[in-house]
Amino acid sequence: VAQGSVVKGKVTSQDDGEGLPGVSIQVEGTSRGTVTDFEGTYSLELQSGDNRLIYSFIGYKTVTVDVGSRSVIDLVMEPDIEQLEEIVVVGYGVQRKSDVTGAVASVRGGDLTKIPAANPMQALQGKVAGVQVSSGSGQPGAAPVVRIRGVGTFNDSSPIYVVDGVILSDISFLNSSDIQSMEVLKDASATAIYGSRGANGVVIITTKQGKIGDEQTTFSVNTEYSVQKLSRKIDLLNGKEFATVVNDINPGSYNNVDAVPNTDWQDLIFDVAPIQNHQVSATGATKKTQYYVGLGYFNQQGIIDKSKYERLTLKLNNTYKFSDNVRLGNNITVAPYSQHVAPGVVYQVYRAQPVAVPRYDDGSFGVVPNVGNPLADLENSNNFNKGLRTVGNVFTDIKLFKDFTFRSSFGVDMAYNKNKSFTPAYTVYNANGTASQQQNLYSDLSKENRENFTWLWENTLTYNKEFGKHRVEGLAGFTSQKTTSEYLSIRGENILRDGQDFWYLRPSYIVDESNNINTLNSIANGVDAGQYYSMASVLFRVNYTYDERFLFTGTFRRDGSSKFTDSNKYASFPSLALGWNVINESFMQNITALTNLKVRASWGAIGNEKIRYNRQFSLVQNELNPVFGVEEALNPGASYGVTGNPDLKWETTYQTDLGLEFGLLNQRLTGELDYYRRETQDILVDLLTPGHLGNGQGQRVTYNAGSVLNSGFEFNLGWSDEIQGVKYRIGALGSTVHNEVLSVGGNSGVDSTLVGGYLGDGRPVTLSREGLPIGAFYGYQIDGVFQNQAELDAYPHDSQARPGDLIIRDVNGDGKISLGDRTYMGSPIPTFIYGFNLEASYKGFDINVDFQGQMGNKIFNGKEVVRPDPYNFERHVINRWTGEGTSTSEPRASFGGINFAPSTRFIQDGSFLRFRNMTVGYTIPEAALERINMNQVRVYVRGTNLFTATKFTGYSPEFGSEDVLSSNIDRGAYPVSAIYSAGLNISF
Amino acid sequence: SFPQSAADALLATNAAYSTLRNWSYHSGGYPILDIMSDDARKGSNPNDQLPTLGPFDTFTFNTTADGLDRWWAALYEGVKRANVVIEKVPEIAMEQAKIDLYVAEARFLRGLFYFDLVRAWGGVPLITTLTPPLRAARASKADVYSLIEGDLSFAAGILPEKSEVATEDLGRATKGAAKALLARVYLFQGDFVKAESYALEVINSGQYDLEPDFNDAFGEAGEHGVESVFEIGARRNEGTNNGGNQYSNVQGIRGSPNRGWGFNRPSIDLMNSFENNDPRMDATIIFLGDVLGGVVTIGDGTTPDETRDANGNLIEIETYNQKVWTEGSNTITSWGHNRRIVRYADVLLMAAEALNENNKSAQALTYLNMVRARSRGGNASILPDITVTDKNQLRELIIEERRHELAMEGHRFWDLVRTGKAPEVLGPLGFVAGKHELLPIPQTEVDLSEGTLGQNPEY
Repeated sequence: VAQGSVVKGKVTSQDDGEGLPGVSIQVEGTSRGTVTDFEGTYSLELQSGDNRLIYSFIGYKTVTVDVGSRSVIDLVMEPDIEQLEEIVVVGYGVQRKSDVTGAVASVRGGDLTKIPAANPMQALQGKVAGVQVSSGSGQPGAAPVVRIRGVGTFNDSSPIYVVDGVILSDISFLNSSDIQSMEVLKDASATAIYGSRGANGVVIITTKQGKIGDEQTTFSVNTEYSVQKLSRKIDLLNGKEFATVVNDINPGSYNNVDAVPNTDWQDLIFDVAPIQNHQVSATGATKKTQYYVGLGYFNQQGIIDKSKYERLTLKLNNTYKFSDNVRLGNNITVAPYSQHVAPGVVYQVYRAQPVAVPRYDDGSFGVVPNVGNPLADLENSNNFNKGLRTVGNVFTDIKLFKDFTFRSSFGVDMAYNKNKSFTPAYTVYNANGTASQQQNLYSDLSKENRENFTWLWENTLTYNKEFGKHRVEGLAGFTSQKTTSEYLSIRGENILRDGQDFWYLRPSYIVDESNNINTLNSIANGVDAGQYYSMASVLFRVNYTYDERFLFTGTFRRDGSSKFTDSNKYASFPSLALGWNVINESFMQNITALTNLKVRASWGAIGNEKIRYNRQFSLVQNELNPVFGVEEALNPGASYGVTGNPDLKWETTYQTDLGLEFGLLNQRLTGELDYYRRETQDILVDLLTPGHLGNGQGQRVTYNAGSVLNSGFEFNLGWSDEIQGVKYRIGALGSTVHNEVLSVGGNSGVDSTLVGGYLGDGRPVTLSREGLPIGAFYGYQIDGVFQNQAELDAYPHDSQARPGDLIIRDVNGDGKISLGDRTYMGSPIPTFIYGFNLEASYKGFDINVDFQGQMGNKIFNGKEVVRPDPYNFERHVINRWTGEGTSTSEPRASFGGINFAPSTRFIQDGSFLRFRNMTVGYTIPEAALERINMNQVRVYVRGTNLFTATKFTGYSPEFGSEDVLSSNIDRGAYPVSAIYSAGLNISF
Repeated sequence: SFPQSAADALLATNAAYSTLRNWSYHSGGYPILDIMSDDARKGSNPNDQLPTLGPFDTFTFNTTADGLDRWWAALYEGVKRANVVIEKVPEIAMEQAKIDLYVAEARFLRGLFYFDLVRAWGGVPLITTLTPPLRAARASKADVYSLIEGDLSFAAGILPEKSEVATEDLGRATKGAAKALLARVYLFQGDFVKAESYALEVINSGQYDLEPDFNDAFGEAGEHGVESVFEIGARRNEGTNNGGNQYSNVQGIRGSPNRGWGFNRPSIDLMNSFENNDPRMDATIIFLGDVLGGVVTIGDGTTPDETRDANGNLIEIETYNQKVWTEGSNTITSWGHNRRIVRYADVLLMAAEALNENNKSAQALTYLNMVRARSRGGNASILPDITVTDKNQLRELIIEERRHELAMEGHRFWDLVRTGKAPEVLGPLGFVAGKHELLPIPQTEVDLSEGTLGQNPEY
């Protein structure tokens, strides 16, 4: 290039062919460059030695061009789908990011495949501000629990999912590799278009689709192999320590504590287990069609024997363009799966005495007092699920007149699940040959079938118009839906043979040794047939933008549901939002450091209809059968069960959101801040009713009688830059939650508390009432250990208490220790959840590091509390009180008793910081690949859940529970593993 | 809408009976049986259910005591099911005789449930409709009794005699059962004239007799037998839905042979109270070493065979309630025990008691000695006929006879309360006069009533 020569040209967008203003053009290797003007044109003076120009613009793929001898270079820039900054998917449509008035977070599909998990939501941990994802169990195939902006109701608090327009409550069938993008809609402006279903947030998922223009088919192959391992063990007593403690309690139980067996049950039950994840896909387009075909296989063995999850996913997305005005398409996923479910041996292992032996010398199972031998339970457990989930829709888009588009979509969600569980007859014998308690006298087989079928038909008409400084989008729609479900269970005993070929039911009687004919529970049936509910709705939305500065969104949806009686059948859900793109004001033009500044505010009312719809009726209960006659025949009986409440109506959440978005230093620093306040009213609450109503003990009637507040701040900050060829991005995000029950039982006047969190022995440990968080832990406050009799005598205590027992605070000051002294012990809901991550790439190498954490919540160590019998102890018992002055926190050793009443003794800090993921990859240079005709080959290694910093003493400090009254209680859940993976991505 | 046909009416009536096998009707309410009397201790091993059942052994229970709320709720659940029949069945277009029969059965059961309620708690909310108020005040004790009397006498007027009941329907309420219950209801109110009259009507009906073998009076062989006036049918199946009744499983031998949990243990006081060589003692109590159905009773390893107080006095030995024992090879068989609510020996003793109070001691002795004669079993050296005619002395002897004849069948505590002997007999165990004649209204009910439901005295 000659010194002083000038190159000119126009940069246009591939989207619409219009000129692109603001495109940065830089001479490679220098800091010289220019920017395109309003028309997209530019002119740049070159110096000798300038060979290549780099064209970059946010939202578009960066292009490098050899100048050669040219003086005019016109360029068409291709939108960068990976960045997605420009276009955001919202309910029933898409919007420019700058026009969005709601709180919407986007996640790229590529981020979802970083965690080796069957469920795509697992990958969202620490990725979106305001979204908490927690695992309830490490059982392969177990779904995580998702909460968006706190816990909004006492009922189902999970978001809904909209996959390519089909509304779903669960996405366990989706293969992360098939997902293009995920948008989390958080505030009312964004979710109100889903009306009665939006109150707990909406996750919109768009699956992959061929791109117009990509005429060449791209094949990609992704394969990953992982190994899972228990990340840490619980510190339990060994045989000698256990025997020593037992001798403390019952002197002389073990004559020689050095001679007792020492079994580490955890070592026996946990193993290393693999995950395989493979996927192939083909994608592309012609002038008339776009297509994506994906085939995935996921296979996860559990770290406990007899647990496994296996899934095949077939994905077919096609769009046919019939004419300029008519498109027809389909998005279909077919996912057959099977699961092997382990029995609850984790809790058994926790309680099994280390002095018990797994097997006797003859190889037979050893007796484990009180809990049974977990190995025997595992061997005799055969619990399988298998099923088929098919989700899909067909749709058509028709352009009408000039500015109107009509879209009709018919979708289905079909789920079929079969469970089969067989336990052979078996007995674990004592060493002396007598039968122990661990036995199953007759083999039993149970089968369960569940079928759910939903169809959803949605019709929308969209109006798009730009004139002058005005841009208007209008949407009107009518939708209807129907869900039917059926359930059948059947159980039989005394199956002819133990082998799998005989796992079919037959009625059976057996004659025992005394020649009595025993009628077994030969066949027990549970049928719950023909449940259905339906919904019909109308929806409207208007988006208006003036001069790229002022934004307005208004939505309205009216839903009718068969879940309610006629008087309460319909409800309306409106929302309003305003936005101001401050950056586009003239007074901002001189502040060059700022590249984006937007403020927005929204308000709306949204509903939650995920409730048990039949609670309005007084249902007739079957199987109330008396026995009459000399032959003792069961006579069928039926009568009214729990009284219904015909006045039930919708739960409604009122949400306000204030948001700020900014970009600094040429968008190297970007950020988004939000304040939210969600108040849910008329929450459906099951309240205890007086016994004289005849509902039976502990039975509850549902009322609209609760309200809950969630409020907090969210931030999401990113810094991205490039230093000497190293591209990197640092992100940090977090959110605070203030969760508070505003009322329970308010207008029903029946009850003002909600008790939950029942332990295995029926004791509750949570109480939700005014002023406390939902599912607040509730129990005795411990103030130390009684050191001597004088201390004991001087303070109220349980009648059985002795020196060395815990000092329970007499909270109500009545001079007695009773249930009335229970008090608030902490919240299961974190007050702050956060994540931060680093991505960097240099030449072919890429690295990704994710951290994730939460603070301010407690865990109730429920597995330690229930101990009516001698079980093993956690190691802290070593430091027990053994005499005056020996301990002020750890009471004398005992089996059960007052020291094991639910109390602050079992409350642990639930805060944690987890090294969630680290991936290191290497992409083979393109030049090397061209010869073998490949686009991309990348290899990587990855670690997941590598390390968790926490004070919690259990396996993993998260205990997600769909029951919000039972969250964060450790009942001996299947632990979440650390995972080490290696993988390969190929495309050609 | 339910019930709307004759078939529905039968279903609804049957459902009211099914309350009788509800865990909370008696198994979960077992503290109120004999554990509160001098006849039994808590049982099982020393720590088992100590916090929940122990207080009923020592009269240290309070308003939140375990089981009270379950029992209260179960009884009212039974009342509701009875009310469904009483209120809805008459509206069905069906044979009038069937309507009358079902309503009579339902009113019999409603009377039975309210009788438990009034004995346990005194005046309680009277619910006679399917749309009761959310908060209901306590009715007077007299009003509750008057409802019971109305229900039972209505039932007595319509129900068939036992001999008129088809064998496949045995276990349904009968005229005799309603009258026997009425006799009991009047005894509790001290109306001996009516008690005498109803007891004699049952006796003179010719429908009942004593089983020759005392064991059959409560055992499996005598189910629906000649002595059975009203009993709860059950099948040898685990689980209430399958026809089982856990009543006997809760009390069955703990350990070896494993027949249950071993609660409600016959006391040393009971053993000592039997007359010399009264065969009923051995028929009532399973001692370690007893051979039943060919199996030696070894008992439970975690339960001491003998328990002594600080002074070395024997205060408890490991025993079990033999009256709930069922022959078989496993715990499931114990679920098949048919619990007797009223048996003929009880009717005879009620008659004797009422007659004595009505100054007809000669007649009273006839019935009293019938019961003793059966137990004597032809052995002239034991259980001689009683000849005392002094009213006060005879009253004591009849109560004593009730204790031995009906031991561990859930009568003793109530007998002591209604005869005013509870403070004297149970005082040493912790009974406080003026307080423990009634149980506390469950705290949850008091709380839910927001002041409408008053607590019983001293709680």
